[in-house]
Amino acid sequence: MATTSHSQIKRFGIGRIIEHQMNALVFALLVITGLSQRFHEYRVSHWIIQTLGGVDTMRVIHRYSGILFAALIVVHIAAGIYGVIIKHWPASMMINMNDFRNAIENLKYYFGITNHPALCDRYDYKQKFEYWGVIAGGFLMIGTGLILWFPVVVARFLPGEFIPAAKAAHSNEALLAFLVIIIWHIYNSIFSPEVFPLDTAIFTGKISRERMVHEHPLELAHIENVPVEEIIKHHPAAHADTTTRPGEGA
Amino acid sequence: MTGRKHFPVCFMLLFLTMVAAPMTGYTAEQGLAEDVRACLGCHGEKGLSVKFQNGESLDAYIDAKKFKASVHQSLSCSSCHGEFSGQGQGHPQRSFRSREQFSSKSSAICRQCHADEQLKRSPVHASLLTKENKAPVCASCHNPHTLTSVAGGRKFSSEKEQCLRCHQHAMGIRLRSGDKVSLKVDAAALEGSVHAKLGCYDCHFGFSGSQHPKRNFNSPRDFSIAQSEACRRCHFDKYTKTLESIHYTLLSQGNLKAPVCTDCHGAHTVVQARADKLQSSKRCGRCHQDIFGTYTKSVHGTALVQDHNTDVPICADCHTAHSIQGAHTQDYRDKVPEICGKCHGDGTLMKKYGLSPGVVNSYLQDFHGVTLKLYRSQKDASEVNGSRKSIATCVDCHGIHDITKTTGPTTNLVKARLMKRCQKCHPGASDEFPDAWLSHYEPSLNNAPLVFLINLTYKFFIPFMLIGLILQILLHVWRYAVNR
Repeated sequence: MATTSHSQIKRFGIGRIIEHQMNALVFALLVITGLSQRFHEYRVSHWIIQTLGGVDTMRVIHRYSGILFAALIVVHIAAGIYGVIIKHWPASMMINMNDFRNAIENLKYYFGITNHPALCDRYDYKQKFEYWGVIAGGFLMIGTGLILWFPVVVARFLPGEFIPAAKAAHSNEALLAFLVIIIWHIYNSIFSPEVFPLDTAIFTGKISRERMVHEHPLELAHIENVPVEEIIKHHPAAHADTTTRPGEGA
Repeated sequence: MTGRKHFPVCFMLLFLTMVAAPMTGYTAEQGLAEDVRACLGCHGEKGLSVKFQNGESLDAYIDAKKFKASVHQSLSCSSCHGEFSGQGQGHPQRSFRSREQFSSKSSAICRQCHADEQLKRSPVHASLLTKENKAPVCASCHNPHTLTSVAGGRKFSSEKEQCLRCHQHAMGIRLRSGDKVSLKVDAAALEGSVHAKLGCYDCHFGFSGSQHPKRNFNSPRDFSIAQSEACRRCHFDKYTKTLESIHYTLLSQGNLKAPVCTDCHGAHTVVQARADKLQSSKRCGRCHQDIFGTYTKSVHGTALVQDHNTDVPICADCHTAHSIQGAHTQDYRDKVPEICGKCHGDGTLMKKYGLSPGVVNSYLQDFHGVTLKLYRSQKDASEVNGSRKSIATCVDCHGIHDITKTTGPTTNLVKARLMKRCQKCHPGASDEFPDAWLSHYEPSLNNAPLVFLINLTYKFFIPFMLIGLILQILLHVWRYAVNR
C-alpha cells in the first residue's frame, strides 16, 4: 500500500497548466486594477493607483487584462468543444445528478451520518462549482465590461440605464468572484489539511495516488480498471472507527 | 496785492513795538506791542463779531494768551491789518461778501512775509501754489492769531487732527500723467471705518508731525498700488494669500488694472468686507460687469438681489476673497464639487430650501466623481498631469454664473447642457446616452429599477454565498480534526 499510495498519477497536461497560470495572473491583475476602483476611498487602493501610474493607466491595464481574460475563455471553450466532439474527451466537467448526490453525501459525512465521504469522479462537485462559477461569472464580467468600455455604442441600442446597471453588476460580481477565490479556492488549494501547504497538482501536473483514493476514487478505479470498492477498501476514513465520534460534537 | 504799500509801515511799527513793549507794565498782555494791547481793549472781549453780506459771521475775539503763544506774538496788529491803526480814522468800515472772501483777502497779507520761494520748499505748499485760484487760503489751515509752527505740531490733540486740518478741505494735486487727485479726506467716513482708531501715519508711513515728504507718482494708479502695500503691515495673512491670486499675477505682469487692497476695501472708508454680501459682490462687478450681470439673473443672484437672502453664495464664496485663482485652470475646475458641496452637502441648509444634500455624494460616488477624486489625489504624479481628461462636474450641467433651477421651466436647459457635456467627451452620444447618469437619484424601484434590483440581489447573494462556503470549510476542518 505504501508503495502505491506514494506513486504519482498524471492529472493535467501542459496546456491546462499554462491555462491555469495565465488565468491566475490575469485574474490577479483584474482584481487589483478593478477593486481598487470600487474601494477607491481606501488607502491601499490609493497606493495601488499611484504605483500603477494613475487611474487612467490603471484602467488601460484593466481593459487589456479583460481582453486577455476573454481570449482565455474563448480559447478554453473552443478547445473544450473541439476535444469533446472531435477527440472524444470525456465531458468530465459537465454537471450531473451525481454532483448533487455527492454534495448531500458529503454533508452527511461531515455531520457523521455516514462514515465515508462521497465517491467523486475526475472533478468533484466543489471543483465543478468553481469552474462553472468562473465560466458564468466570466461571461457576465466580459459582457458588462464591454458595456462600460463602449457606453456610447451600447446606448444606441439599449436604454441608458443599462450602463449604470452594468457597472453595478460588474462591480458586485467582481467582489463576489474575488471573495470566492480568496476564501474557497485558496482554502481548497492551500489551507485545506489534505493539501497543506500547497496543492501542487496544477504546477506539476501530477497528483499522488493517495489523494486520488481520497478525492477522486471513481476516476482512479477507471484508470486502474478495478471496481471502486477495491479502491476505497483502503480508504482511511472508511476504516477508521469514527462512526460515533462526530455525533458527540454535533 | 494792496498790502505791498504798507510794507514800510509794518516794519516801522514792528520796530516801535519792540522798543515800546518792555516799558509798559500791563500784566495780562505783557510783552505784547502797544497797539496790540490797544486793539485787545475791545477785541480781547468775547462777543465781538463781524457780519458778512451773505449772512455768515466771524468771531472778532482774539485770545490774548493764545496770541502770545503764537509765532506771530512779536507782530503788532497793524503789521497785518495795515489799514487799522487804533487812532480815530484807523478803524475803517469794510464789507466782504463772505467769510471765504475775507480769508482770501487776508491771506494775501501773509505772502508779504512768506515769499513764494520760501513756501515752495514745503511740498504741501508748493502743490498749493501751482493753482492759486482753487487753492485753500493760508488762513484755512493756519489761524493767524494762534499760529504755531507746523513742524513742531505738538499743539494738535491727535495726528489725525493735524492732518485733517488741511486734508478736510477740497484740495487736490495734478500728477505728471495729468490726472487730478483729490487729497480730501472725509473725516466722517474715516471715523465710521474699522480703522477709526488708527492714526494717519500708521498707513501713510514716512509722514509724521514733522515730515511731509514729496512723493513722485506718475498716475493715481501708481499711488494706489504703492499705498496698498501699507495694508500688509497688519494684514499679513491676507497679503500672503493675495500673492497666490490671479489678481496679483496680473499685476506683476504689468496689468495695472488688476485690483489691489484698496480697490475692494476702500482707503479711508474701510468697512467689514463681508458685512454686506450684496455690496461685496457688487465690488467684484465693478470690473467683472458681464459676469455680475449674469450672476444677478441666476438662482443665487436673484435671491441675493431681490430677496436679500444671505444664504446664497456671492463671488467670494466660490472664488475666495484673497487667494482668487484663475477660474479657467484645471485645478479650479476640479475643485467645483467641493465648492458646491460646501452648501449643497449641508443638510440643515438644504432642508431650509427643500433640496437634497445627497446630490454631492451621488456625484462623488459615481464614475466621474471617483475619477475626479482620483485625479485630484494624484495631482503631483507627473505622468498624469499632461494627458488627463477634463471631467464633467456640477457646473457643466447646472451652469456657472448662470446657475438655474433644475425644476420648472429651466429643466430642459439643464438637460440640454447635460447632453452637450456628454458629447464633449463621448462623441456620437445618442439621446439615450445621458440617461446613463441617474441625475443624482438613488436607484430605487421608481428610479433606475434595474440598477436597484441588481444591487439588491448581490446584497443578499454575496453574504449567502460566503456564509455557505465558510460553513463548508468549517465543517471540513471539523471533520478532519475529528478523524485524527
